[in-house]
Amino acid sequence: MSKSTVAPQPSRLGRFWHKWRFHINVLLLLIPLGFMPKYFADAALFRGDIGLGEREVGEITVGPWSLRLAELRNEAPRPQGPAGYMKGFNAALCDACIDQVKATYLRIGKPRSLRAAGALFFGTPYRMGTQLPVPEKTKADAELWITMEGWDGSMHQASIPLSQASPATLAWLTQQGAQP
Amino acid sequence: MSKKSRSKLWFLVHSWLALPIWFFVLIVCVTGTLAVVSQEIVWLANPQMRASQPADDAPRLSYDQILAAIKQAEPQTVVQRISRPDESHFALDVTVSYPDGRSQTVYVNPYTGVIQGSAPDFNFEAFTRALHGWWLVPFTNGYSWGWYLVSLLGLPLLASLITGLVVYKRFWKGFFSPTLRFRHGARIFWGDFHRLSGIWSIWFIAVISITGIWFLIEALLYDNHISISSEPVIPAMAREAVPISADGTPPPRISLDRAIEVAQQKIPGLEVSFISLPGNAYSHMDLGGRGWYPLMFQTATLNPFNGEVAASRRLSDRTALEFVTESMRPLHTGDFGGLWIKLIWFFFGLVLSMMVLSGLLIWTKRTALATANAFKRESKKNRVTAQPATHREAAEVNL
Repeated sequence: MSKSTVAPQPSRLGRFWHKWRFHINVLLLLIPLGFMPKYFADAALFRGDIGLGEREVGEITVGPWSLRLAELRNEAPRPQGPAGYMKGFNAALCDACIDQVKATYLRIGKPRSLRAAGALFFGTPYRMGTQLPVPEKTKADAELWITMEGWDGSMHQASIPLSQASPATLAWLTQQGAQP
Repeated sequence: MSKKSRSKLWFLVHSWLALPIWFFVLIVCVTGTLAVVSQEIVWLANPQMRASQPADDAPRLSYDQILAAIKQAEPQTVVQRISRPDESHFALDVTVSYPDGRSQTVYVNPYTGVIQGSAPDFNFEAFTRALHGWWLVPFTNGYSWGWYLVSLLGLPLLASLITGLVVYKRFWKGFFSPTLRFRHGARIFWGDFHRLSGIWSIWFIAVISITGIWFLIEALLYDNHISISSEPVIPAMAREAVPISADGTPPPRISLDRAIEVAQQKIPGLEVSFISLPGNAYSHMDLGGRGWYPLMFQTATLNPFNGEVAASRRLSDRTALEFVTESMRPLHTGDFGGLWIKLIWFFFGLVLSMMVLSGLLIWTKRTALATANAFKRESKKNRVTAQPATHREAAEVNL
């Protein structure tokens, strides 16, 4: 502090710095200002104002039932600590199947049994979500399997290519060096 | 080191703790102060959030009656959670899901079950908390860096308190002879103000800074995958625990009032203030409320089909460490004892904000004064360079 004032002829820059050095931190306010649009976009996304998710996959028929699937965010899977990479999906049940469907699951690759049907959807029939684990070594031609279980014990399955369910995930896998 | 130069050093440390980032500290203090009473501000702005009693002796409806009233008014709407705010002048907050896929919080009158309106799209409470808590920086992988930025302030805040008490010699005398001089210029006034409000907020600054440092530790623990929780992870219900229905329709669930009864048997004296309904066929119903220790919640987790208790979390289930760490958040926010505690937190939040501002004002006034004095001497002695600077330093230190 004293050094700059002792200098016989402080430069213009030096004087400017000396005068404003404790007010530069006002610029920290730019951080929340910059993130504000994202904050409100996220709030709208979670409230469901912009639909099921950032990117709607479409209506998928599963046996006698159907559901609408959407990517929560149109982006690559996110790292979730020790759990590995996760990809958020949302879904809504068809009006007729709301009272018949007991549970809905999502999995990469065909499940061997109902006990290993994958990530269970959580929420309401109008809007439920799940976090799908996406191993980094997933093949580019992998399929996303939807398993639906009825209250009467019945089970129905359907699959769509992962490339159709989430192009962003496929791009990420390709970047990781996935083989088709 | 001589006594004088040591106190000079303490003083320098005290002034440098907040000075270079005073505006950031100020905004964090102001947004935190607003966040304390954000629910009340929304209540003032939004009549739909008020719980008006139709008659003086009108009883509150049970949770089942509330559910039935919503079902009757909007048969398609699915209720996800009902929560009763601490203060009786608030309507119930009910989280609902609509057929078009939107999720909303609606305000329901606790006496009539009428849906009075839905929470505004701009959630003032969440916004002030996000701004105060993590500077709006999104959480992508673990804690947001904004959280670290804000919670790091706990360290200089605690250091300011300690160094402030060291440089303010015999500060306890200030309690018996409060000084606030109005007629001796701004510099004296703000100095008195800073000291007076400082000693009366010792407890508050200590609480806020220590709990703030805890938020920093909490983030560090989480991001390094270290857990100190004794709470068991409750797995989803077993396949066998969920009945199959022959006709393919959902089997009946126990009523909410029955669930409360079961929870109260498990946790005597439990005053249920929220119920979370199951999010799918294999998930539980959660109920909870405050116990005798107002800073923590007790919860029960039930099988919604047969009412069996899958897990419960009572005060006595907590370890001593958890009693301390789980108390940190309510102590920071002041939302554990109704309106009066909030108002106390709000008042001292304002005082703390003013301390940041007065600290800055003292610094600028003193510098301005010192510079003016230095120039006076300079013209008198008709000398140049080094001299004024040393005078200024000295003047700055002699508070």
